[in-house]
Amino acid sequence: MAAVETTVAPQAGAPGMTMLDIAGLNVSYPVYEEEPVRAVRDLDLSVRSGEIVGLVGESGSGKTTLARAVMGLLTQPGRIDTGSIQFDGKDMRALSENQLRAIRGRDIAMVIPNPRSELDPLIPVGKQIAAVARAHLDIGRAEADAMALDMLKAVHIPDPTRRFRAFPHELSGGMAQRVVMAISLVCSPKFVISDDATSGLDVTVQAQVLDLLRTLVREHDTSMLFITRDVGITAHFCDRVAVIYRGEIVEFAETADFFENPQHPYSVMLLAAFAHNPALRNKWHKPLASTEAEAGRACLYAPRCVHREDECDERHPDLRELGGARHLVRCHFPVERVA
Amino acid sequence: MRILRYIGRRFLFIGPQLFGIILVSFLLVKLIPGDPAVMMLGPFATEQQIAMLNAEMGLEGTIIDQFWIYLQNLVQGDLGTSWQTTKPVFDDLAIRFPATLELVTLSLLLALLIGIPLGVAAAYFKRSIVKKFSDYYGLLAGSLPDFWLGLILIYLFYTIMQVAPAPLGRIDFAVLPPAPVTNFLIIDSLIAGNWQALWSTLGHLVLPVVTLAVINAGPILKMTQATMERMLESDLIRYAEMCGLPKSVVIRKAFRNSLPSVVTIVSVLYGFLIGGAVLVEIVFSWGGAGQYAVQGVLNADINPVLGFVLFSAILSLIIYLLVDLIYFAIDPRIRG
Amino acid sequence: MSAVLTVEGLVKHFPIAGSRSVVQAVNGVSFSVAKGETLSLVGESGSGKTTVGRCVLGLIKSTDGAIGFHGKPIDRRRNIRSSELRGRLQLVFQEPAESLDPQVRIGNTIAEPLRSMGVSRPDQRQRVREVARRVGLRDSTLEQFPAELSAGQQQRVGIARAIVTDPELIVLDEPTSALDPTARAEIIDLLIRLQQELETAYLFISHDLSTVRYLSHRVAVMYLGMIVELGTAKELFSHPRHPYSVGLLSSVLLPNPKLKRESAVDLAGEIPSPIDLPTGCYLAGRCPFADDQCRSEMPPEDTVAEGHTVNCFKHRDALRGHEALDYFDDFQVEAEKLLGAGRR
Repeated sequence: MAAVETTVAPQAGAPGMTMLDIAGLNVSYPVYEEEPVRAVRDLDLSVRSGEIVGLVGESGSGKTTLARAVMGLLTQPGRIDTGSIQFDGKDMRALSENQLRAIRGRDIAMVIPNPRSELDPLIPVGKQIAAVARAHLDIGRAEADAMALDMLKAVHIPDPTRRFRAFPHELSGGMAQRVVMAISLVCSPKFVISDDATSGLDVTVQAQVLDLLRTLVREHDTSMLFITRDVGITAHFCDRVAVIYRGEIVEFAETADFFENPQHPYSVMLLAAFAHNPALRNKWHKPLASTEAEAGRACLYAPRCVHREDECDERHPDLRELGGARHLVRCHFPVERVA
Repeated sequence: MRILRYIGRRFLFIGPQLFGIILVSFLLVKLIPGDPAVMMLGPFATEQQIAMLNAEMGLEGTIIDQFWIYLQNLVQGDLGTSWQTTKPVFDDLAIRFPATLELVTLSLLLALLIGIPLGVAAAYFKRSIVKKFSDYYGLLAGSLPDFWLGLILIYLFYTIMQVAPAPLGRIDFAVLPPAPVTNFLIIDSLIAGNWQALWSTLGHLVLPVVTLAVINAGPILKMTQATMERMLESDLIRYAEMCGLPKSVVIRKAFRNSLPSVVTIVSVLYGFLIGGAVLVEIVFSWGGAGQYAVQGVLNADINPVLGFVLFSAILSLIIYLLVDLIYFAIDPRIRG
Repeated sequence: MSAVLTVEGLVKHFPIAGSRSVVQAVNGVSFSVAKGETLSLVGESGSGKTTVGRCVLGLIKSTDGAIGFHGKPIDRRRNIRSSELRGRLQLVFQEPAESLDPQVRIGNTIAEPLRSMGVSRPDQRQRVREVARRVGLRDSTLEQFPAELSAGQQQRVGIARAIVTDPELIVLDEPTSALDPTARAEIIDLLIRLQQELETAYLFISHDLSTVRYLSHRVAVMYLGMIVELGTAKELFSHPRHPYSVGLLSSVLLPNPKLKRESAVDLAGEIPSPIDLPTGCYLAGRCPFADDQCRSEMPPEDTVAEGHTVNCFKHRDALRGHEALDYFDDFQVEAEKLLGAGRR
């Protein structure tokens, strides 16, 4: 368990330096004549260079909002209230729209879940890859086309020369997903955000796509934030796993550590969802009432928690380090395990 | 080639479609009250005279008989005669249809030049003055009657400022018109190299074209704006933004994907304006096809009305074919 | 056990508009479902599993083959909508939000199948309340609209609407794939409990193998409109014989980094188009064991154990290629250790 001894502070230039560092981030969506909806709350998250961090959460947990906040592309009327987003030593919040535009697709790339609706239906896929290359690199049309063709080969698309001219509707879901990966990686970005990117694929195709994505990311020493609602993928794909619940990180640990020794009752419940023994599962799982009261000062998870105590209703827990190893958990009464 | 097969199939249907249109319009025109023979011969005609004239015009017997006579003439290129102009309807329309087409085509081109940039800008710059202006413009264009705007323009630019020519037709009386070839005055002037006629024609076109363009830019603007707004919110554009594509590329991408709805609204407006420009034609004494048809309706002169319907129908079919070809060109999904 | 549903040699081809070729969605499928049993159809998208479900309900006309419900045929005339079978067959959809009318109150939605059966108003109301309680919906929920419910609750409504007529067979078309894992677990528990109480037969269509392992008595693996392997869930998951089943099972990522999938069978590429199917075994193009025989002949059905059939010439090689290990079972053992420990 003592495998992790890397320092927390970013060290410029050193391997394992922090590539993305989010601190105290709050994002909310104003609602007319009501309290704004807080989608991301006091969120701290860091991704080191060359590392894949998994971010697991159910729908509505704020994981997509987080990704969009990092890109500087929150949907209206969302806004960042407080907090900082440091990317590769730059303060993302201080950058102008044009500076952000230069970073998006060049240094931070996004892999998205519905390639069929997100690729341009009117333009051949090869040209779409080339367009991103030309937007960010100082190259001519022919060179961009050549790069695009190379990328189609790199993502193992069969018959790449012909597929270069194919339109998105002529590709299967798995193929389209590979094209999206080619677009993301064509500028050799430092950082890739994958937002539920494999959720629409069949398991066999998902396995192929994930293997490929990991190989390419490792080859280019790219860092990655892998957002998903499937905790199963993170076990096999990520170096560290963070769990997000209602906009808060509730647990953050090395992958092996997380799956051997989950500390937050919510993390355990996510894992319990895969258990087939209902008695065992219900030990961790409390069906949620349809209306959940706004938590006020309390722990946000308290209404669903099977271990709720008085303190949970009185004091909001902080994200704290547990047992020396870099295992962070936001819970007053983390799960103690009988060895 | 899928497109050739498609066009071929389209042409196969043109015959039956035209027949249906002629049949329906024939029946509808027959419902217009008034007996043309009575109108033509005046109040003192005898029963016998009326019957003879009706026979001469193919208007005796049952409605089916009459339709049959009309069809037979039609096949020989005879659309009948207008009793008002006393000329064959075909010859009348050969002059008047180009007049209307020239007016409507130029108006829509100008309307596109106004509507599309405004619509795109209003959609992209959500909190700008352009957006406000577009909102008011859309409202105003929707509520202003076109003939009224025409009269205002005549009053301002002809009566007061005297920079526009008199609103009396397509060309100055004093100018010798070019030899008729297509009956599009601009084209004919160019063919004849008659620059004086060209200049006069263009001058006469300015006010009516501006009138129609200003009004019809409204729906084009609204459609462009609405589709662009939807497009800018779409996954497609969201992803383009995530890829950091330049602003101009993003806007162009959104516009290209909005284009089918813009093409649709333009084709609808085109078909509509062939008859719908009639009030403006009257205000400017344009002598266009719409004006001709309305005169026919008011005076129970049915051949001009039927001829107009037939010409409009053929034109509509051509427009729809063009629209489909444009869709083919834009969208690879239709190309298959 | 008498079969509730029997399907014999089912074939379904869809003509393609403006073309002489057809989509060969289902190419000769046979199976049966007994009372109180769950048979799962698994496979990638394009395997034809959903089409089988729609044929079974008589919603689309099959091209060939026979479907029997208690021995009597189901077809376009005698189907889920006909008066004779109304209420005895039911369907639960994938997207709960889309299958519920947003403007109809939950209670009325659940009562809908009863209305066409001529049940009196008071009886309807009582029955709806009974069923709602059974699926874990509160009485107050019956007055709400679908948009006010979570996805998991919406799916409970979908299930309540299906069981309100006390059906003998329910076709469940991916009922859990739109749900988050915790909601999914709740729905699975509910389905299992209902089956035990009501002895309903389930035809469960899914690509979620973890759920299938848990819920099914028997599993049929489909590939390009054919059942390539059929057996009990336990047998098939621990001793998969067909290379496709092996590849499919090893692609599942269970939340335990120690249970690494083996790459004994690496299914290259993707499911081919069902418009022009290859000759011979449909999997030959993707299968590492394929030889000339596989590419020229269609493999016959081979019984490898009691109730376990496989259509493959090479199933012995496939079995040799991987250890007979049920990762799903291993995972459960690990999960018991992990979840069983801890406080309280």
